[in-house]
Amino acid sequence: MAKLKIRDKKVKIAITKDKKKKDKADPEAVPELPAEYSSPTRDEEHSDSRDVSQSSDSELSCEINEVEGNDLHHPAEESDSSEDEVAPRNTIGDVPLEWYKDEEHIGYDIAGRKIKKHARKDKIESFLAGVDDSKNWRKIYDEYNDEEVELTKKEMKLIKRLLQGSTPHTEVDPYAPYVDWFDWEDKGHPLSNAPEPKRRFIPSKWEHKKVVKYIRAIRKGWIKFEKPEEEPRHYLLWGDDSTSAESKRQGLKYIPAPKPKLAGHEESYNPSLEYIPTQEEINSYQLMYEEDRPKFIPKRYESLRNVPAYENALKEGFDRCLDLYLCPRTRKKRINIDPESLKPKLPSRKDLKPYPSKCYLEYLGHSGPVKSVSVEISGQWLASGSTDGTIRLWEVETGRCLKVWEVGQPVNHVAWNPLPQLPILAASAGHDVLLLDTGLGDAEEQHRITELLHVEESASTDDRDLVSWAREEMYGGIRLKHTKAVANVEWHRKGDYFTTVMPKDILRTLPERLDCSRDTKAVLLHQLSKKQTHNPFKKLRGLAVSAVFHPTRSIFFISTKNHIRIYDLLKSKLINKLETGLQEVSSVAVHPGGDNLIVGSKEGKMCWFDMDLSSRPYKILKTHPKDITNVAFHRSYPLFASSSEDCTAYVFHGMVYSDLNQNPLIVPLEILRGHASSKYGGVLDCKFHPRQPWLFTAGADSVIKLYCH
Amino acid sequence: MNRIYFSYCLLFSSYSPLSFVKGKKKEGTAATFITRTKAVRNLQVTLPHFRKLCILKGVFPREPKKKIHGSEKTYYHVKDINFLMHEPLRGKLWDIKAYKKKIKKARGKKNKDMVERLLDRQPTYKLDRLVLERYPTFVDALRDLDDCLTMVHLFATLPAMESEHIQVDRIHNCRRLSHEWQAYISRTHSLRRTFISVKGIYYQAEVEGQKITWLTPHALQQVVTDDVDFNVMLTFLEFYEVEAIMYQLETLLGFVNFKLYHSINVKYPPILDPRLEALADELYALCRYIATGSRTLSGNSQSGISSESEQTGNKKMNSESEESEVRLAQLQHQLPANERGALMNMMEDVNGADEEDQDTKECKSLFKDFKFFLSREVPRESLLFIIPAFGGLVSWEGDGAPFKETDEDVTHQIVDRPSLGRKFLSREYVQPQWIFDCINARIILPTEQYLLGRVPPPHLSPFVDNEAEGYVPEYAETIKRLQAAARRQVLPFPGLDPMDFSDPGSLLAEGIIDRAEANEAAEQRQKLLKLEQQYHDELKMELQGVTFSAVASKGNSQIPPAEDVEVEEGASMALLDQVAEDELNLSKVSMSRRQRGLMEAIQIGKERKRNKIELLKKRRKNSEANRKG
Repeated sequence: MAKLKIRDKKVKIAITKDKKKKDKADPEAVPELPAEYSSPTRDEEHSDSRDVSQSSDSELSCEINEVEGNDLHHPAEESDSSEDEVAPRNTIGDVPLEWYKDEEHIGYDIAGRKIKKHARKDKIESFLAGVDDSKNWRKIYDEYNDEEVELTKKEMKLIKRLLQGSTPHTEVDPYAPYVDWFDWEDKGHPLSNAPEPKRRFIPSKWEHKKVVKYIRAIRKGWIKFEKPEEEPRHYLLWGDDSTSAESKRQGLKYIPAPKPKLAGHEESYNPSLEYIPTQEEINSYQLMYEEDRPKFIPKRYESLRNVPAYENALKEGFDRCLDLYLCPRTRKKRINIDPESLKPKLPSRKDLKPYPSKCYLEYLGHSGPVKSVSVEISGQWLASGSTDGTIRLWEVETGRCLKVWEVGQPVNHVAWNPLPQLPILAASAGHDVLLLDTGLGDAEEQHRITELLHVEESASTDDRDLVSWAREEMYGGIRLKHTKAVANVEWHRKGDYFTTVMPKDILRTLPERLDCSRDTKAVLLHQLSKKQTHNPFKKLRGLAVSAVFHPTRSIFFISTKNHIRIYDLLKSKLINKLETGLQEVSSVAVHPGGDNLIVGSKEGKMCWFDMDLSSRPYKILKTHPKDITNVAFHRSYPLFASSSEDCTAYVFHGMVYSDLNQNPLIVPLEILRGHASSKYGGVLDCKFHPRQPWLFTAGADSVIKLYCH
Repeated sequence: MNRIYFSYCLLFSSYSPLSFVKGKKKEGTAATFITRTKAVRNLQVTLPHFRKLCILKGVFPREPKKKIHGSEKTYYHVKDINFLMHEPLRGKLWDIKAYKKKIKKARGKKNKDMVERLLDRQPTYKLDRLVLERYPTFVDALRDLDDCLTMVHLFATLPAMESEHIQVDRIHNCRRLSHEWQAYISRTHSLRRTFISVKGIYYQAEVEGQKITWLTPHALQQVVTDDVDFNVMLTFLEFYEVEAIMYQLETLLGFVNFKLYHSINVKYPPILDPRLEALADELYALCRYIATGSRTLSGNSQSGISSESEQTGNKKMNSESEESEVRLAQLQHQLPANERGALMNMMEDVNGADEEDQDTKECKSLFKDFKFFLSREVPRESLLFIIPAFGGLVSWEGDGAPFKETDEDVTHQIVDRPSLGRKFLSREYVQPQWIFDCINARIILPTEQYLLGRVPPPHLSPFVDNEAEGYVPEYAETIKRLQAAARRQVLPFPGLDPMDFSDPGSLLAEGIIDRAEANEAAEQRQKLLKLEQQYHDELKMELQGVTFSAVASKGNSQIPPAEDVEVEEGASMALLDQVAEDELNLSKVSMSRRQRGLMEAIQIGKERKRNKIELLKKRRKNSEANRKG
């Protein structure tokens, strides 16, 4: 019943609506309509219930549909309030108004007469009318009837409420309490007839699982209910420092990082003017290597307020951090030593006197660089050979030139015969070696010498390929013709043998002689008494530089570029090989004791070999900045010397003890200067006086100097 | 977590400590040094964690004698690595790693409960044990404090950058720690030297006999470059001082500050006056706090002398809990503002009875009679730190200042502007550099060169030993003269002939000529003596008679005749140089190669130094010429 009621209500509303529309559409049909209209609406609602339908004519239903369609055009007129208004004048219905746009009339009234359009007010007029009329804002132009409608206050309120989104009428309560019309009591039937499930009676498994989880978490301490007490952030970490046991650091020894360098004057914001580099200097920094470039360029600000933020502050802080944890730290002893303390403790030079220290005499006369000097064994005479092609004989003490031999070729080396009774001079000039009679000594000696220096012509034919002994025509004596230029001539201590060295001239090596590239003929032994020459070596390794005889025993030293080879002449075999470790040996000298040897090299180093000790140098002395040209031992004093192309000669004290446990003592004594440098080099030769602690030096400036103590 | 850690320990203890040495037995360098890669692998940590461990534990690479695995590698000592291996922190790092994974997983599964629960129990670690381990005594910690202070002061001026994980709290913490440190230094008057450089302001303080130098950047917006790995810096920072928010750590500087505050009877951490803090005058607030705190704590002994207000303060301090201390601090802050000189008293009071060394006394009384006022444009924080450290009273323009600009007793106003409209006649207007120069010279310098609007004289570094460098700038000489004059007021030296160059040592003692001059004079004398000696030697030799003809020898001898000594001064000097060089060459000949290298290095160093001085002298001459011309 209730449902039915409601439906009736709806129908009623629909009817009222339709009545109004019908009023518009067909004014004649108005009175009878209600009964007829109820059926189609119901029909629409209950499309299946056909029992009620009283075959309504389709024409009418069409009309209704049309009306509903027209409703869309006039939604404002649909309100309930329009129900009790007077019927509109126009009867055209819901046709588009534009059909009448061009007509004189707007439609027809009930009587079917045309309704004329009002004359259109012009804008200014309507505006002026509006200004005068205080109710103008309520007026609305009704297009359909072509008239102005004035809204009432009630209508205005209604519109306002609609705009606000609330119900149009104030009396409607949208939130009225719900009234449940259905009475539930005593109905006797539950909604579902199923029995209570079992799970309603047993504890939940999932809840149990969850609880177990929580219990576990609480027991494990994952969930804590009270917050842990906050310990004091800072406390007295270091108590008394007196407990030394605790105050030891564990682990490896701690190396504190070096403190950053403190700022100097130049880092000041306002440094002295002298700390500020000029623009040219700053430009020149660009040419430097990156690492040499100064990290910080001083700048001057007139006052503190002008100082900007330092752009590298963060970078430097970071670099410091990196240094602190990435740099390997080692404890290095601060090298703050006095350079004096580096100097080895050596005996005072005054205690080692006498030694040559001052230049006392110069022997002037040569016109070219003096290549070699030699002192006669008695110490009275000095011979010198020069590249100007002369050999000169000097009296040592006076500096007088006694004799001059013009050999025509540059003289490489001169050597006195070590026997005092045989004042013979051997000189190498070019490819020849000359044995000259100096004319010194008494008549008996002279006689012996001339006998010795007599050469028969036939002797030369024997060993033609080696050396030819010939008579020297000009000065009387012997000329030994070699195949190559002779660099060195050295006498045996007994004065009968002498050796010559022909350093291999690589440039002149002929193709056919390539087979003897190991030049076995570089070192030759000559016997003066028999006028014989022989080649002691079947093979010779390396390039021979010089050769020396042992001062007491029959041992022969040959120096090649890197090694010194020591041969026993009697057994004719190699005894020892000394490793110099030098790049290029230039000269060798043997200590008169015979167990020690010095070697000078072209890199300015001098090696002292103690042959009893080892085949390696006992001491390497870095002396000269340039090539060493010659080294020499004194015959009796513990002195040795080296001469070099840097125009100096060094004098050393070299004491060799007879006690085998004591190593030789080497003390540098003096640097002898005085020679002028020339394009041929500096000092070319040095020789000691045989008895006095004097040193002769031959310079490339064609001067021979005598240094005395 | 502990169980996990112990299980790891067991795992490792089952191997030999050098579990990586397997098979062939290694000896020597191969056994004692391992490369970084191997170390990381042995420790089972990632490289960033390894780095962190190294930084926190203070482990650094070491230089093996022979680099077996290549010279480009970094080598660590095996003992160092074992030291890290037994570090509980390593376990903590693992825990943190696992914890982060758990959170990530929970988030991925959208398990909000779990995430919340996990966030509640973040693993934390504390570094106090490490601090004690690295610095067993307090002096050790002070010795290594330089870098720490520099870093904290640098970070105190940095902007907070979320992208680099530099949180605001960290910056604030740095600021707080640096202020605490400065307050202590200022309170104990242990600041010794200051220097304004382009990089910032250097300070040198002496605490417990250790010289501690640090650099504070200029208080400007710092230039943040991107070629810096902040992770490394932050780890250092973490150890140094900062309480990392994440891990609630606290470390070196915090503990050092605690100890220092403890030593002057002040509670740490300090509770600051919130008003001053709000005005960003933390340093001033701290100074106040220290002053009042130390006074009240020590006030018990000297309660008879202390004023009424102090006693009430004492009572309150004793009776009330810590919570009320903030209020107390406020109360005490308000007290001295009423009476003039109360601040002074506060600064003076406590440690008066303590034995103080001469230096501290001197520092304490340098600005004793002065009252300074800072203008807006001068670096306030720095000056607020320095001036009280040397016994001066200072105020500034702004809220919370102890006295106003109009105060009649102000003797100096620090200004840094070209000109000033209104001036008080009773005070001097000086530039900030004056303060710094006075401190370095330890005397009150005349102010005329530093007055308003002038270009101040050059600011010289106090860290340079001018005599040792061999070059004394002009202004340093001026200061020296002023110092001597100041000293003579106290101790006059009668009957002294300053021109007596016979004994440079005695002159040096009086500080009239500096050491460089003395050295020069001594050198000159030595040279002359040497020349004389040589001449005598040679004369003697000639007299003894050499076998040689005197005529020949005389011509060649290089001895200058006696009369020509003065005339041929230059020649003889050249000869002397020659002799010295020969001497050197000869001694070089008999040296071993190593020693020779050393000697040459020394000589090169000397030469470089000399060149530098020459350059400075040349520039000075040029600038003087420019000034005249």
